[in-house]
Amino acid sequence: MSRAETGPLTRFGGPLVVAGAAIVVGYLFSVGLDGYFVYLGMSAIVAGIALLGLGVVTGSAGMVSLCQLTFAAVGAWVVSYLNRAGAPGGFLVYLVCGGIAAGLVGVLVGLPALRLRGINLAVVTLGLAAAADLTLVQIQFPGTVDGVSVERPEAFSDDRGYFWLGTMVLTACCLLVHFLRRTRWGSGWQAVAFSERGTAAAGASVRTSKLSAFAVSAALGGVAGGLLTGQVGLAFPASFTAMQSLALYVLAIMSGAHLIDMAVFGAVLWVAVPELLKRWGIPQDWGFVVFGLLGTHALTTGGNLGTAVRELWRRRSKEAAGINLGAPPSDVEIPEPGEPVLVVRDLSVSFGEVKALSHVDITVPSNGVLGVIGPNGAGKSTLVDILSGFLPQATGSVELDGLALNGMSPTRRARAGLRRTFQQDRVPAGLTVGAYVRFVARRRLSTAEIADALEFFGCPAPKTPLRRVDVGARRLVEVVGHLLAKPKVLLLDEPAAGLPHEEHVALGLRLRQVPARFGVSVLLIEHDLDLVRSVCDTITVLDFGQVLASGPQAEVLANPEVLKAYMGETELL
Amino acid sequence: MLQGALAGLAAGGLYAVLAVCLTLMSRLVRVVNFAQSATGMFGCYVAVWLSVDVGLPTWAATVVGIVLGCGLSALLGWIISTWLAEADIGTRSAVTVAVLLLLISLSFILFGNKPQPFHPILDGPAFEVNGVVVSQVTVVTVVLSVVVALGCRALLSGTSFGLQLRALSERPTTAELMGIPAKPLAVGVWAATGLLSTLVISIVAPSQSNDATSLSMLVVPAAAAALLGGFRRLDLAVVGGLVLGMAQGALAQVDSLSVVRYFLPFLVVVGLLLWSQRKEVWDVAR
Repeated sequence: MSRAETGPLTRFGGPLVVAGAAIVVGYLFSVGLDGYFVYLGMSAIVAGIALLGLGVVTGSAGMVSLCQLTFAAVGAWVVSYLNRAGAPGGFLVYLVCGGIAAGLVGVLVGLPALRLRGINLAVVTLGLAAAADLTLVQIQFPGTVDGVSVERPEAFSDDRGYFWLGTMVLTACCLLVHFLRRTRWGSGWQAVAFSERGTAAAGASVRTSKLSAFAVSAALGGVAGGLLTGQVGLAFPASFTAMQSLALYVLAIMSGAHLIDMAVFGAVLWVAVPELLKRWGIPQDWGFVVFGLLGTHALTTGGNLGTAVRELWRRRSKEAAGINLGAPPSDVEIPEPGEPVLVVRDLSVSFGEVKALSHVDITVPSNGVLGVIGPNGAGKSTLVDILSGFLPQATGSVELDGLALNGMSPTRRARAGLRRTFQQDRVPAGLTVGAYVRFVARRRLSTAEIADALEFFGCPAPKTPLRRVDVGARRLVEVVGHLLAKPKVLLLDEPAAGLPHEEHVALGLRLRQVPARFGVSVLLIEHDLDLVRSVCDTITVLDFGQVLASGPQAEVLANPEVLKAYMGETELL
Repeated sequence: MLQGALAGLAAGGLYAVLAVCLTLMSRLVRVVNFAQSATGMFGCYVAVWLSVDVGLPTWAATVVGIVLGCGLSALLGWIISTWLAEADIGTRSAVTVAVLLLLISLSFILFGNKPQPFHPILDGPAFEVNGVVVSQVTVVTVVLSVVVALGCRALLSGTSFGLQLRALSERPTTAELMGIPAKPLAVGVWAATGLLSTLVISIVAPSQSNDATSLSMLVVPAAAAALLGGFRRLDLAVVGGLVLGMAQGALAQVDSLSVVRYFLPFLVVVGLLLWSQRKEVWDVAR
């Protein structure tokens, strides 16, 4: 559920009520529990904040981070340093500074992450964790050698008070993550985890998405480290070993820490498992063995405790949601195509010896639909890749409404008003239909506007999670999102693929109305000639990377050259 | 400096052998094995326990430890090729992160978290260069890394067995359809690298900082070395390992730079990756 899909009361009210209740429960725990449990609870809170951070970077944005406690050590270091230096502001200010400092370090570590993916990033972060581990032992934290312990705020100076303070900090962090996940940043994290190309095509910066995920996660790590320092008084390297970072990562995977409640649940496991083992007379070190085994299990089976528990809790229906292109859309007046809005001249690109495209000229009129057809390997998808900026080595000129796009990144082209969709699924499964459409549209949308557009294309309701939407429907949701962005031109790469054949013409009827309803010109790549015929005013035929024919539909489809190349002469047009 | 660099060469040989193992794993079974050195560490610790507490002769204990390292690695390989046969390299490797954690904590439980009293298998100097002593350990690890790399290369490029292995790595499904026994071969690769890493760690560990965490984290400099060869080239992996070991050894001589030494593998990893990935702008081909 995102902005305006529900009223502001549930949007802000619900989470705030939960937060208030959490703080009350925290207070009751702090006065009611045995002193030892209060201390354990504090450790769980620290772990919970660190896990929330991992939930953002690993759970949402899909990047492996094995150095969460290195960020915590940065927070602890800053808090210890400011405390020993007697800086003004007191503990809470130090805590915030620690979080900010860790966030900045997170950006530094995240910078290589812009280029590094998956397993390479894991190597880098493990390397950092190992190096920081050794360094901390050598340099120690400020104040540990001379024994200057960190002072807690006066109102929360005893363990019970400090636990309550911890509850409030944890609640604030949960709220922060909750609301961030509903912003463009949050959608960007989900998008970038699934597809960087899809993210850029939606006009979102891949760089911002990745760096913000790293920064937020590291800042949360820093706050956790700062809180821990206040808990124990003096920070020691033993609390921030690479080993514990690994354990937290495994725990985040195992508990499904991208869900806020599951991060808290994971934190409870973090203290409960060793504690239970201790009570049963088993050495606490077995705790990590248990995490290691459960983590291996979670990874090999692809599930995690979080989703398993949620499924039990909610018993959500697991049926896939599809499209429903039943009744034909009401008629609208189809405007005459106007002046050219997208002008492409002399486009060429080669991959080694292969000339994928040579000297291609294309013009898309305003308020018009241009069809691009051609046999497999003719260069149609390459054309879309070049126009949308994914093949910067191509030569030739691309002009959108008088603006030269050459040299611009895909993100900038998308923002300038040239959008595209993909043949393959590029829709992140972690969002709802509505949240995804808002993310792609990049502008303020009313609930009614979204609902209308989705309904026009027979898509599932805005609240449906995308993981329950079938592939054909996902691709139409993608189209809707890009249309609502109101670009000047939308490049559609085989939008009907994945739909049952009888839906093709129904989709065609709707695409035909796109310029009139949305004010968007369309370049449509499609194999299904019935669909092309029902939608396009003008057609360009590509063959072996060259324009074979171009012009009004009837003329082009009657061209004997086209018949020969495209249809193999036998099939009737 | 020279003395430091030569002293670092023993570690360099260790990095080189581990880097060769990592490269083989990445090429042949699509895994970056974070538990590569942890498996070796565990085998060695068991060997030390057998020799110190059970009273087995050092050589016998070492052999048992190496066989155990080999078996552990094979078991992990079997698990991954059974349940994650079709998974991408990221997921397959993430499992080894969990195993790394598992092995370190198991060793804490079984053997405590103090460094172990290793009996050196090789002891004493081999020869002197300009008054700088080069130990037997150094000579053996460096020679071992070169021999292993050359041997693997000959095996992979010159024999039909090597051809099967390469087919398996590049087109696993096609290879299996052609009747190449995918799973036994994959488990075999895991076993071989497990054996190699345990062997080399048992040789070097007595002369290194040999607590469980340090030995397990050897995977970081090894990965840095393997990256020089892009996780594909064995010769560059060996060169990377040796150079990194010598550089660390040289830096250790200068007190003011000793913290830099810890960060060297990390900086090498970042630098090499940024350079090698400079053209990889997008996550998928199209």
